[in-house]
Amino acid sequence: MPLDFFNVWLPYIYLYVGGGIFFVAGMILIRRTKAIDMRLKRDRFWWKIMLLGFVYYAIIHLILIIAALYW
Amino acid sequence: MTQIHNIGTELDWVVLIIYMVAMLLFGTYFAKYNKDTNDFFFGGRRFTWWIIAMSIVATGISSHSFVKYSAMGFKYGFSSSMSYMNDWFFVPFFLFGWLPIIVYSKIRSIPEYFERRFSPSARFFVTILQLMYLIGYVGIGFLTMGKAIMPLMPEHLTVFGFQIHITLMGLIWVTAIVVGSYITFGGQTAVIFTDLVQGAMLLFAGLMVFIVGVAYVGGWHSFWNLLPASWKLPFAGFNSPAEFNSVGTFWEDAIAGSVGFLFMNMGLIMRFMATKNVHEGRKAATVNILFMLPISAIVVGGGGWVAKAISVLNPNLIPKNVNPDSIFVLVSNIITGPGVFGFVIAAIAAALMSTVSTLLNATAAIWVNDVDKPVRVWLKKIKRDDPSDEKRAMMVARVSTAAFTVLGVLAVYAFSSYPTVYQAHAFFHATLTPPLMIAIFFGAFWKKFTPAGLISTVVGGVALMLLGFRFPLELIQPIAHGTPYDPIHPFTYMAALYNLIVCTGVAVIVTLLQKQLKHIASRIKKIPNHNVIMYSMVVFIVAVFIIDILDIFFKINISPLAGLVTLTIFMTICVALVTTFYVKYDAEAQTTGLTVWSIHKAKEWFKGSKLNEREGENVKVHYKIVDGDEDVINFSQKDMHKMAAEPGDLVYITDTRKWLGGLKSCHSVFGKPHKEDGIVYFRNLHLGKGLFVEGRLLEAEKEM
Repeated sequence: MPLDFFNVWLPYIYLYVGGGIFFVAGMILIRRTKAIDMRLKRDRFWWKIMLLGFVYYAIIHLILIIAALYW
Repeated sequence: MTQIHNIGTELDWVVLIIYMVAMLLFGTYFAKYNKDTNDFFFGGRRFTWWIIAMSIVATGISSHSFVKYSAMGFKYGFSSSMSYMNDWFFVPFFLFGWLPIIVYSKIRSIPEYFERRFSPSARFFVTILQLMYLIGYVGIGFLTMGKAIMPLMPEHLTVFGFQIHITLMGLIWVTAIVVGSYITFGGQTAVIFTDLVQGAMLLFAGLMVFIVGVAYVGGWHSFWNLLPASWKLPFAGFNSPAEFNSVGTFWEDAIAGSVGFLFMNMGLIMRFMATKNVHEGRKAATVNILFMLPISAIVVGGGGWVAKAISVLNPNLIPKNVNPDSIFVLVSNIITGPGVFGFVIAAIAAALMSTVSTLLNATAAIWVNDVDKPVRVWLKKIKRDDPSDEKRAMMVARVSTAAFTVLGVLAVYAFSSYPTVYQAHAFFHATLTPPLMIAIFFGAFWKKFTPAGLISTVVGGVALMLLGFRFPLELIQPIAHGTPYDPIHPFTYMAALYNLIVCTGVAVIVTLLQKQLKHIASRIKKIPNHNVIMYSMVVFIVAVFIIDILDIFFKINISPLAGLVTLTIFMTICVALVTTFYVKYDAEAQTTGLTVWSIHKAKEWFKGSKLNEREGENVKVHYKIVDGDEDVINFSQKDMHKMAAEPGDLVYITDTRKWLGGLKSCHSVFGKPHKEDGIVYFRNLHLGKGLFVEGRLLEAEKEM
């Protein structure tokens, strides 16, 4: 498999843009419907966890790609 | 491909058998916690997050994971872990949508949700799809188990002078009998506790194979340098090869598979319903996805990665044309010694028991709640609101578990044509998940979604999916992102995208046209012989569905593609009309508390009164038994003040030993306060439910 943009970075971008659309839609929906109540400390905690979880996985995948290419 | 036989020693067999018997006994011990079907199916809704998170590991990893991810790991590298690290996108929908809805609505199965949200007919269609989904999953589990054990078996076995040729299917039948008997008597508590042990064993065994394997090839530095860069990337090539690519895996696994696993897998959902409350369920799900899944990716793929490094280091050790599904077993045998290898195989065998037992338990729950009871109501043997006959329900649960074990084995025949379990599983996800996924998603998150939209999706959407299966070049290739066409198994992955598009399309169009459908239905009602019109439509629907099936499965060219598509679209319109005509639907009443838009109302229903969300502290108490049989427990005025509780609020009380994970606990309602601080008044029923030990300190928590 050639190590070009198409095979190295496009899968990463596709995953986080495509998946990100679903993720952001979910975050907006639970705020709009008040399923998550931002007045409650516990729910604010969960809001942060959900955002951090997305970033956490994006960073893990980024590190793995860089490790494969340059380490 | 070469099928390996006879690897392992007698000691490995001894370890394997001892392990399996120990698990069987461990599981059946917990049968004593099954007081009723609530315990049998939901473990009494009492457990803390960590026990559920750990038990989910065993179900999530499962035996097919070891086999299929090691196979892909061996062929393609670290990208085999893709499926384990793409589940976060639907977490907001799950944690704050689906999870609270299913817990607070007190449903016992997903189809029951559809009856309350839509109609009994919606429940009927969803039950069929849900049972197919679960039986298919059981089939995948059995297929993998057979493939995992096959390398250990000789080609022939001689019993009393008779020579028995050992086949994959024969092996699967024997396995099914063992698994079926254990779950039939154990129930959900047995499943949770055996999974707890098995989850730990699986992590240990998988990590051990990976670490020992890395040491075998000369340490981390050597392992890393033996592998080519393309092989170390976390993603497969964007759109090739056909059997494993990123874009296909995104639609088949990150989208369809993740939703299937989190939202539709009744086995997993029952685990979350076994947690003591929604907050604990969220913690269990989050810890599992954030921490356990990345570890699991190494655990299940590591065997294949190590095998690849070994094959580079010493090409003679692993045959070139080895069946990839045997790679985990083969590499474990190479790098471990006698007895240890038996333990590794026992861990996989135990994983199968976890996965399959969870699914069989879930299937039995659906049978009892969505088939047996509604049929008895329909036959007028019972009334809908009659209290359930627990003894009979338990008997039905056990018999149905046994029956579904058999059906699970029969499902294996459908998957055995695929070269690897990975592809068989991908086909399964891509095919069975989309209609249910759309039904659940729109049902829970879109208030306007109607019974007509749902049933049209299930019937018309599935018919359009079947056409995609029959005409992949015409219907799937245009959206396949350039993935290659495999004539034997065309677009195994990208079929998921096509199926999602057609199901979403049907759901959205029919729902948006609801006003027009109602108008047409009301005009038909005014026609004197409207029933004849409706019956004709039903006949037309059935006829088109049969035509589609004949054309697809028997390759009878009844009509060209354009004709079949046109017929199927007309059929879908008829389904929407017939549903609108017959199904009574009160949009306001049937969405309140059952969609994400009214979670607060669902919580109030769950409690039965206004919510008390004041934050209080937990209190530690000893119990005292008082007379009475009402389900209330009484605390002192001071303790209630500390908990910020009022009479009528919900309370959870548990043994203070954290390691029990809530096994000895129960839910109840606050009664009127008394004056003895540090004492809780129980009735005998609470002692029976919580299995509390006399003299032990208990901890009470106000729920809501």
